[in-house]
Amino acid sequence: MNNNTKNNRNDGNKLLKFSKELLVSWVGVFIVLIIWQAVVSFRIVNPAVFPSPIQVVEAALYRISLPVLLGHISISLQRVVIGFLIGALLGIFIGITSGWYRLLAKIVWTPIDLLRPIPPLAWISLALIWFGLGESSKVFIIFIGAFFPIVTSTYKGMNNIDPDLLRVGQGMGIRGIKLLFKVAFPASLPDIATGIRVGWSLSFGSLVAAEILAAREGLGFLIMFAREVGEINLIVYGIFIIGLLNLLTDFLIRRYIIENQLKWHFGSQSNE
Amino acid sequence: MKLSSKRSSRFLGTRVLNVLIRLMTVIILLFFWEFSVRLGWISSFEFPPPSRLMETLIMLITDGFPRGITAWIHVLATVMRILQGYALATVMAIPMGILIGRSKILVRASNPVITFARSVATISLLPLAVAWFGVGEFARVLLITYGCFWIILTNTIDGVQQVDPDYHRAAQMMGTSPSQLFFRVILPASLPRIFSGMKVALGMAFLVIVAVEMIGTIQGLGALIQQSRTFFRSDIAMVGMLFMGIFGYFLSIVLDWLERILLPWSKGLEEVER
Amino acid sequence: MTNSNNNKHKISIINVTKQFDAETIERGLALKDISFNVESNEFVTIVGRSGCGKTTLLNIIAGFLKPTSGTILKDGDPIRAPGPDRGMVFQHASLFPWLTAIKNIEFGPKNQGIPKEKRIKLANELIKLVRLEGSENKYPRELSGGMRQRVAIARALALDPDILLMDEPFGALDELTRSEMQSELLRIWEARKKTVIFVTHSIFEAIYLSDRIIVLSPHPGQVSKNIKIDIPRPRNRSSQPFLELYEDIHEAIF
Repeated sequence: MNNNTKNNRNDGNKLLKFSKELLVSWVGVFIVLIIWQAVVSFRIVNPAVFPSPIQVVEAALYRISLPVLLGHISISLQRVVIGFLIGALLGIFIGITSGWYRLLAKIVWTPIDLLRPIPPLAWISLALIWFGLGESSKVFIIFIGAFFPIVTSTYKGMNNIDPDLLRVGQGMGIRGIKLLFKVAFPASLPDIATGIRVGWSLSFGSLVAAEILAAREGLGFLIMFAREVGEINLIVYGIFIIGLLNLLTDFLIRRYIIENQLKWHFGSQSNE
Repeated sequence: MKLSSKRSSRFLGTRVLNVLIRLMTVIILLFFWEFSVRLGWISSFEFPPPSRLMETLIMLITDGFPRGITAWIHVLATVMRILQGYALATVMAIPMGILIGRSKILVRASNPVITFARSVATISLLPLAVAWFGVGEFARVLLITYGCFWIILTNTIDGVQQVDPDYHRAAQMMGTSPSQLFFRVILPASLPRIFSGMKVALGMAFLVIVAVEMIGTIQGLGALIQQSRTFFRSDIAMVGMLFMGIFGYFLSIVLDWLERILLPWSKGLEEVER
Repeated sequence: MTNSNNNKHKISIINVTKQFDAETIERGLALKDISFNVESNEFVTIVGRSGCGKTTLLNIIAGFLKPTSGTILKDGDPIRAPGPDRGMVFQHASLFPWLTAIKNIEFGPKNQGIPKEKRIKLANELIKLVRLEGSENKYPRELSGGMRQRVAIARALALDPDILLMDEPFGALDELTRSEMQSELLRIWEARKKTVIFVTHSIFEAIYLSDRIIVLSPHPGQVSKNIKIDIPRPRNRSSQPFLELYEDIHEAIF
């Protein structure tokens, strides 16, 4: 009985600790919001150009209807998902095959290395010339954003496989493509996962950039349009939405990858 | 001794061979490209041949595009903007990062704000910056600063926070005063991570500058590429991209060299993505 | 409040208990009622399986942790904080990677304000003592594991502590280097007599090195044996007394 009460006190302590931590985390957010509102309310900045949090919320509720907003969001998401998937699939494919077949690597990596330092958005002129003003040009930029980090990480992952693992497989009589699928590919997954995270964030940034510069729909276009019609509150609102989306999608990717697929890798790292 | 000299010459041999193979690949590709255009397999409008690109390159260096703005001016404009934004971000982020990193409470309190600020796509701030500051240099440099600031800040905070606790203990064991501990242990120990953040931030600056130069200016590599779009000059677009690629490659080499000089004692950290 | 009895021991550990925060009280109890004494210039080893709390105990003696209850006295006075009177050698050397070997050794004296000439001379003597001449200006990453530990020992000795605390210092070394370092440690100890409290999970190492062995049983850590070793040094690892002791202690642990 003594042990039970001791344990309960322990649990109570932990709950208190957890809520204290949570509170401290959000104090920062509150302080920022309060300063922000104060700066506008006390006219330190011009409220016409520097909206307060309240004004931004107003814009959210009244200046744009939910269906319209959702329409822009879905267009943006479609673009980025398609572009990312193409980039990821191609990147993983080339990364794996070039990591497995040395000759292919020698051929394929020279152009990739040459093109890699070019920022995705720098491709936009070519993309527009090649694909016109339609969806493809935007998707292309996003593809570029995803492709290079992913192909690089995948290749690196293939190169960094512990050779002992391959020997274990060979010792079990697994050869050729089977060895690639059953041993090499899983072994390089952690690096591929890193590449996917980087590739996604680059894709997302490229999406916004491409939409700001060359689109007629989507979140990037929305904030550009808001600026042209002088709706500053809407710009800030749009920026927030983009930021939240970025945060959310990255969180989901991290969660999914780390928790489900790669427990074996990241789990062992967190133990001593 | 004999063994090692055999090994090193064999090593040199394979390295030279590798470089040759890569060079050959590039040359073959260029030839293939050139002939594909000549034979009409691909259009020279969409894929200007290397011969054309050479001409354009020379034109850019001598006459410039638009008239009078040579490649050098473009590169200089881009470099200056990146330098200013980057320097500004560094000067603000490192001291702030050190300050925050030293206190667990500050780290926890600032974490949500910093995480969100970092998630805000820097480029999405462009319309806002333009609305507030117009299309001048200030808005552009400010955006570069924003993009770099949060990366350097988070890496600095992490660097200070993640100093190996054994270093703390070793220093305590030797009776080090708190200020000595800070300047002589914590700071040097966090340098590799801070430097790693600076590398990533420079990469970010490079990404952001392209977008930022596409509005309101005709000088700069991003502006050059934007101009090429307006005039449908795929050859200029490609040369512009070439410049960016070379510039980017050059930057990473400079940084690696700097790291070897400033931090001779570290093996060099892997790039930290977040 | 000075107990004249306690003044005789270099270190007195009296009923030390350490409780950590954990899911349950039991899980968090690392040490329970530890009591033993260490005499001046004695080489004492604490042996036990991984997780028995020996490192925790060493950290408490060093002053990095405070016991939940109980006292630790050094020369009759309670230990309150880490300090240069108790030099420590860590399992992974933990040399400052941005300093060369000799600068690592100079670090403590430098912070204590010892003038440059004096501390360089001191550091060079220590380099000689640990037999690392020629490697003074190398960075830790250029040194092998054994060499790093030599620097770590020199660094701990630089402030002339009267107690040397060693936390599995040879645990990360290969077998051959480990044997070599054990002999080296004894040689250094003969040259600079100090009280040594050594932690290891290797029974062989413990018997080879120490005047006395404290065996800790795990979950929670408790003293299960306190054995004095009378075999003269250098000890033959395959001699009868050695092996008998090994059996004894092995049984106590398992």
